[in-house]
Amino acid sequence: MILFLMLLALLLLILIDVPIGVALGVTAAVTMALTWGTHIIPNVGLTLYSGTTKFTLIAIPLFILAGAIMNATGISRRLITFTSALVGFVRGGLAMVTIGSSLFFAEISGSAVAGVAALGSILIPAMQRKGYPKEYAAAVTSSAATLAVILPPSLPMIIYAVMAGTSVVEVFLAGAVPGLLGGAMLMCVAWWTAVKNNYPVEEAFQLTRVRETFKEAAWALLLPVIVLGGIFSGWVTATEGAGLAVVAALLIGSLVYRELNWSVLRAAMVEGGLQTATVMLLVGASALLGDYLTGVQAPQMFAESLMEFTSSRWMILLILNIFFLVIGLFMHSAAAIILVVPIVMPLVHAAGIDPVHFGLIVTLNMAVGQQTPPVASVLVTACSIAKADIWDVSKANVPFVAVLVFILFLVTYVPAIPMFLVEHFYR
Amino acid sequence: MDRTCLAASGLLEKVQSRSQPVSPHNSFVSSLRSTLDRSLEWVVIVLTTLLAVVVVSGFLFRQFGAPLIWYDEVAPILLAWLTYYGSGLAALRRVHIGFPRLVANSPKRLRIVLGWIRVTIVVGFFVVAAWAGWRVLEALEDTYLVSLPWMSAQITQSVIPIGSVIFIVAEIIAFTGWLKQQEEESTS
Repeated sequence: MILFLMLLALLLLILIDVPIGVALGVTAAVTMALTWGTHIIPNVGLTLYSGTTKFTLIAIPLFILAGAIMNATGISRRLITFTSALVGFVRGGLAMVTIGSSLFFAEISGSAVAGVAALGSILIPAMQRKGYPKEYAAAVTSSAATLAVILPPSLPMIIYAVMAGTSVVEVFLAGAVPGLLGGAMLMCVAWWTAVKNNYPVEEAFQLTRVRETFKEAAWALLLPVIVLGGIFSGWVTATEGAGLAVVAALLIGSLVYRELNWSVLRAAMVEGGLQTATVMLLVGASALLGDYLTGVQAPQMFAESLMEFTSSRWMILLILNIFFLVIGLFMHSAAAIILVVPIVMPLVHAAGIDPVHFGLIVTLNMAVGQQTPPVASVLVTACSIAKADIWDVSKANVPFVAVLVFILFLVTYVPAIPMFLVEHFYR
Repeated sequence: MDRTCLAASGLLEKVQSRSQPVSPHNSFVSSLRSTLDRSLEWVVIVLTTLLAVVVVSGFLFRQFGAPLIWYDEVAPILLAWLTYYGSGLAALRRVHIGFPRLVANSPKRLRIVLGWIRVTIVVGFFVVAAWAGWRVLEALEDTYLVSLPWMSAQITQSVIPIGSVIFIVAEIIAFTGWLKQQEEESTS
């Protein structure tokens, strides 16, 4: 009963716009005091502190910083130029360039919001100038940027791995094939839409142009090789990989390209710090909630009651998928992962689901959630840049979201797709 | 609009600067806001830079066969500091992750009542957190970091009471700005 009241209070606080991190902290602290007595309150200070001292999560500000440096040093621009030379000849070339550039950007920054803000500010106006409807321009940029959630080094994957107590590197690797598959399918949909609406090609294919732009972008293209190569080979941890990304981006930007816009970098560092702080406040406050839920064994009770209803792994995955899709409609991805993953993990283990496989399912659900209003962080950012109505953009986005949902169900019910690389290299 | 992603795309400051003109009667609050904003911005920049330097140094020193023994202990402390000082800045700019739609779309009078309830809950929570953090500091007297025995744990954990007080001040400043905005919207 007290658990039900706690969840009700949490929902109520969130609905009246109390920051979710604070709402978590308030409900957990009050429930703990009611259950165990007020002498427990000093633990709030201790848990709020220890909850945020998680080494793996240091990767979050560092990957955001790496993305900021990429923008401040013209690395993003060079990636766009190279992608344009590579795929711009296809009908709907700029949409292809957007998806291709997002794939490259995703493999360094790990943040979909950072990706849509960085690439969208260049590519959405460019698409509008070429006659693409602004709704379509926003939709394709938003969906393409969301690939950052599925591809390594995805920030939601890092948060999931910490909350689920599983290997970050394995979750990263599980996302590689579905992420690339998603990128290819988004390109197919973009091409089909372009042919249907007679969108223009961007530039004729010329091998010399590809060679020239490749020379310019070669150092930038080396970034994901260094970072992901380092992480997957075991040379560096995910956190150190993020540090490496910062140094490599800084060296390439300042020494090779000799472009370092300090004011852009400064603003981006502050924004990165803000993003980190808002997510980490959730992590710290969720540690309080975690203490309470563990104390009363709520996750175990939840697992037992659902297992009584069905013990079929596929049925449980279907229920969890629907649950996460609904949560994703109303909640920021980091908040949803932090809040729900610790509660469902005992169920995941009891049903014999691999936590790495489940990690990809969760992050894919969050990727869909970022595209579906009312709470759709990536979509809203794209709409802000395009100055387009969110509902009109959502209509244009339906085919792209359908691709993400298709990938989600493919990953859920054909575990070999995300897991074969993990099985091959790490088990 | 989703405040978090507007902030991430750099559009929030532009929106805020347009929607919150400074008037003489709240000049004290305005100057307090800008001083706090600027100070916390620098704290965030310094902490992010330090975090990058510590992680990269830790990796490099390990590669050269001389691992830094304090690396694993100090880096997470910097993250905790970035969390709570950055949270103060996020509170000042009202960009914490939340669900503002329902309140934003409610009638003005209800919106203001809900705003007061919100600020009371947030301030109340951080008053408790500051007190709890202070009690922890008292308990940590004569406790030092394992890898840096000269560094008191009281300093590292001071972020909870200090960060809580900053959060309270930031929340109140942001709330006064929000209230003023509601008044301006109803008069325009």
